[in-house]
Amino acid sequence: MATAQQSDPITLEIIQSSLEAISDEMFAAMRKTAMSAIIYEVLDMGTAVTDADGELASSGAGIPAFVGVLDKAVKRIIELNDDIRPGDVFATNDPFYGGVTHLNDVVLAMPVFAGGELVAWTANIAHWNDVGGMVPGSISNEAKEVWQEGLRLPAVKLISGGEPIRSVMEIMKANSRLPDFLQGDMWAGIAAARVGERRLVELVGKYGLDTFVTALREFMDYGEQVALRALEDLPKGTFSLAEEQDSGAVYRVTVEITDEEFVVDLRENPDQDDGPNNASRDGSVVAAQMVFMNITGAHESANAGHFRPMRLVTRPGSVFDPNPGAAFATYYEVEIRLYDLIWRCLASHVGDRLPAGSFASICGTFIGGRHPDTGRHFTIVEPQVGGWGASAFADGNSAMFSGFHGDTFNCPAEVAEARYGLYVDRLQLNDAPGGEGEHRGGNGIVVDYRVRADGCFFTCAYTRNKHLPWPQASGREGSPNYAEVIRTDGTVQEFAVVTALEVNEGDIIRLHTGNGGGYGDPARRPRERVAEDVANGLVTLERAREVYGWTP
Amino acid sequence: MIRAATDVGGTFTDLVYFSVDGGTQEIVTAKADTTPPDYERGVMDVIAKSGMPLDGIAFLAHGTTVVINALTERKGVTTGLITTEGFRDSLEIARGNRPDYFNLHYVKPAPFVPRRLRREVPGRIGVDGSERAPLDLGGLPEILDDFRAASVSAVAICLLHAYANPEHERAVLERVRELWPDVSVVGSHQITREWREYERTSTAVLSAYVQPVAERYLTRLAGGVRDGGFGGQLYIMQSNCGVDSVDKTKEIPIAMVESGPASGFWGAAELGRLLGDANVLALDIGGTTAKCSLIQDGQVKITSDYWIERSRRSAGYPIMVPVVDLVEIGNGGGSIAWVDDFGKLHVGPQSAGAVPGPAAYGRGGTEATTTDANLALSRINPDYFVGGEVQADMEAVGRTLDGVAERLGVDRVEAARGIVRIANHNMINALKLVSLNRGHDPRDFTLVAFGGGGGMHAVALAAELGIRKVVVPRAAEVFSAWGMLMSDLRRDYFVTRLLTLTDAQAIDELFAEITDGALEQFAGEGIAADRVSFVRYGNLRYENQEHGVEVPLADGPIDPSAVAETFHTAYEREYTYRLDAPVEFVGAHVVAVAEVGKLAPVAPPRTGARVEDARKARRTVDYATEGIHEADVYDGDRLEPGMRFAGPAIVETAGTTIVAHPGNDASVDDYGNVIVRLEEDA
Repeated sequence: MATAQQSDPITLEIIQSSLEAISDEMFAAMRKTAMSAIIYEVLDMGTAVTDADGELASSGAGIPAFVGVLDKAVKRIIELNDDIRPGDVFATNDPFYGGVTHLNDVVLAMPVFAGGELVAWTANIAHWNDVGGMVPGSISNEAKEVWQEGLRLPAVKLISGGEPIRSVMEIMKANSRLPDFLQGDMWAGIAAARVGERRLVELVGKYGLDTFVTALREFMDYGEQVALRALEDLPKGTFSLAEEQDSGAVYRVTVEITDEEFVVDLRENPDQDDGPNNASRDGSVVAAQMVFMNITGAHESANAGHFRPMRLVTRPGSVFDPNPGAAFATYYEVEIRLYDLIWRCLASHVGDRLPAGSFASICGTFIGGRHPDTGRHFTIVEPQVGGWGASAFADGNSAMFSGFHGDTFNCPAEVAEARYGLYVDRLQLNDAPGGEGEHRGGNGIVVDYRVRADGCFFTCAYTRNKHLPWPQASGREGSPNYAEVIRTDGTVQEFAVVTALEVNEGDIIRLHTGNGGGYGDPARRPRERVAEDVANGLVTLERAREVYGWTP
Repeated sequence: MIRAATDVGGTFTDLVYFSVDGGTQEIVTAKADTTPPDYERGVMDVIAKSGMPLDGIAFLAHGTTVVINALTERKGVTTGLITTEGFRDSLEIARGNRPDYFNLHYVKPAPFVPRRLRREVPGRIGVDGSERAPLDLGGLPEILDDFRAASVSAVAICLLHAYANPEHERAVLERVRELWPDVSVVGSHQITREWREYERTSTAVLSAYVQPVAERYLTRLAGGVRDGGFGGQLYIMQSNCGVDSVDKTKEIPIAMVESGPASGFWGAAELGRLLGDANVLALDIGGTTAKCSLIQDGQVKITSDYWIERSRRSAGYPIMVPVVDLVEIGNGGGSIAWVDDFGKLHVGPQSAGAVPGPAAYGRGGTEATTTDANLALSRINPDYFVGGEVQADMEAVGRTLDGVAERLGVDRVEAARGIVRIANHNMINALKLVSLNRGHDPRDFTLVAFGGGGGMHAVALAAELGIRKVVVPRAAEVFSAWGMLMSDLRRDYFVTRLLTLTDAQAIDELFAEITDGALEQFAGEGIAADRVSFVRYGNLRYENQEHGVEVPLADGPIDPSAVAETFHTAYEREYTYRLDAPVEFVGAHVVAVAEVGKLAPVAPPRTGARVEDARKARRTVDYATEGIHEADVYDGDRLEPGMRFAGPAIVETAGTTIVAHPGNDASVDDYGNVIVRLEEDA
């Protein structure tokens, strides 16, 4: 191999950008073939390439909350398996076996060999609709231990040397209420991993192994340089915040920033939750990594090197580092709370780098039952869009998915009505008061799902319901996330958390997502902007007078 | 007989005409400044400049960026929107996605219509097209009064499920026309019959937004050429690789949005047919961008999944009109090379534009561009730069390259090689996006490269992708215009309708409905049914999936099992596996084509000259990764059919340079195109 001559900076850069293209190609392949809306539309999925040791080299587009997940999974697979051969595909979904999130998120990983040597891994993660457990969809607010949440895949082989292991696949299918979806989504993941493997083999074949390895190493070193350079510009010191949650629990964080390190200390936090409100240690690392990316490299590619200066300290047995056996189903609300906590802790210390708080909940919404037109079973598993916080520069965005999501798409009403057999009576911006400021928080939404068949269920677990999206620099708090169920007789029930509530024909499930926090004193908002808000029906005349001191 | 094409670009308005006289064909080109906002003036200027007699023209085709410019420069009109009750915010909620996902300062694209001008009417159509709640137009007069007061001059209408049944939308449209005859108004069903309300609403809004601008432009253009003595038919290039009449284009001007690139890709498909190459990768390298598209079995791929301003940094805006499936990157001859804070070299997307242009123009360009790097490596001849019109300022070239070299810590030559390699790599990624990423092996394709920079990079790209045959068309720099003159009158109809594949009767009825509608439309324009031909596609997927795969359907009644097999095969090619699951029919795509007479290609004469007569020099050329070689330099204007030469070689014409690499076998075909064959293991 002509490595010496080929290790020039341009070649290395071409390999590095090829890695990104490969991650993106895997992402596109998976998205287009998945069976479940939560994968192909919500894009609750991610793809990545790691080096031979499982260090993240490049990740595909999609959900930032999944970017730091796959390296951890691959490392655990390497740890737990001796027999790794070309053509193998491994599966894991359990936080104690490298799964990071909850049992619904299944990681598939494939080793890449060149010349008989393990040179890299391709991996992907996606939310599967149903992996068994105590309730349809596998996610229950009532679960007390992981065994109630579905089938655990402990970093085992699913495909051996290119041949599917039938026994494993049959066990997986038999444990799902939706085996056809499971099969379709599984093959989408396998196809994506294989596409990536083929491309990596070509890449190594073309440039030689030494050059390939050098390119990965230098790419990670580059990531570290970017992060260190960004750290230089940040204020140094120790910053702390304690914040009460809707549950009454108080979460605490201390962040220490030096020239070399960004240390997030979570030791002072409550013991692990008896229910499913836990985040694995790896999951807590991901939440911290996201804030770290937000302030040190919003436009950089996240790789292992970029995260080298970041360190997380946790206490085993706590909500952010629970012991084996803990339930994790609603890990996402715990992680997004942690993400928002670190963000809020730093917001007033890092100049204008961070906007005010947003609706900051996944607003995970689950509705299922029988489709009145087709008779088939349907399940909605979807996050909601909401209002983002305002910043020093601009009003917050309206109706966007949370910071945990990325290129995630909501489901069009026309598609929802066909696919789920519900009526979508309206989908509009939330004009509730809240989030006023010199720059205004963005608006959440109000959506009405009218149920068309008896015996359907509704589950949700929203946070930022009692404690509202936080403002900055004298702006106003945002508004709450919640759901209402309006029965045909006119009675109205309100929820932030509910499990498997029966809903019947004619009932309306009305979801409200919050407006983001405001930035700056409302009195400083330019008068013509307030007039525009009023004309647009986003602020009432009365509220404009009261908060902005504006009269027409 | 003269067939002519004019093309309004961002900087220049081009004209090309082909004058056919007996067995010979003369190509005349001219250029004038583009003249915003009155683009038609530039067109009249270029016609005058070329000396083309308007009264002698049989066929005039016209492509224009007027629509895309109005959109990207926000030069449309104040627009009002009418939606179904409960859905006026669809336009602003959009899809909630954020491609720039680590950036907490991301700014969502602002809606083209503010909330106060988005109004609602009660009434609902269901998924199956049936009426669930009657339409109530009682509030419409007040809405229109408000619109008038807000100086609205175009109204867009998009109601839920109008793709399945447009009755309500039509009723609103008619009532608006009655109440306000002067306003420009469009209903989403006039443009698209596909589902997804945000995309359809955005389409209707953007269409309304540009409609008055485009209509005024087309009216003046048609009037201008008519006053100049033109008595033939004026056709407007569309984004779906076809042309359409001025009247039809005025109805839905948004369909012109990508008319520029479309004509070049159509030309590549036509050239492929002429040369017997049904599978073509078409690459158009211009001054600021490179665009590519894949042509399979002689067919360009037309989709309605088109977005403007969409990138890794922005969600952009969808426009559901038939557009040729293309990938465009900010990488052309004028793209600027730069080194980031971490010593990494990048090329584009910023461009030196026409002013100041690359450093070599000597007009004050201070940053190195791809063109400058090509000059420094002697790939472009400094003494025959822009056909000898400009003496390349090699001192400026050296100076700007030194700037890059210093930041990279290498010498000038290495910097130039680096720029060429990075530029090539960017284009290779774009070519992979349209081929490998969609399950096509580039080695099965012929690369047709055109635009001013096509011939310069094509062979290097082909070698990288394993492509063995490269075609650089005659007059490659005006190839898009040639494509326009080869286009048919073409309309693409996309209709969403969820059906099970086994329900062949319902599918047959759907196709009959579409083709009958198309024939009726054509008949209304005086085009008889026997001139119209159809190509049909079905959009299919496995049950429970969302994304469909478009497969061609044979003529005649639907045979579900044959169609299913076609689907399984296409699916497996694209995604590597197939499933034993029920197949759903999601929608139809029908292409209706009526020929309007094409330019017949004429072979350039053979004078008996030998290839040696066309050779004008030898020079040392740096092939970047392939080393430095003595290359034969040929005068492209003196190359004749049948001539053959070996690489390393350079072919120069006034408009373009072709770089043939060592080991290449180059020849000139019957039509004057240069064919470069690569060694098997190049």
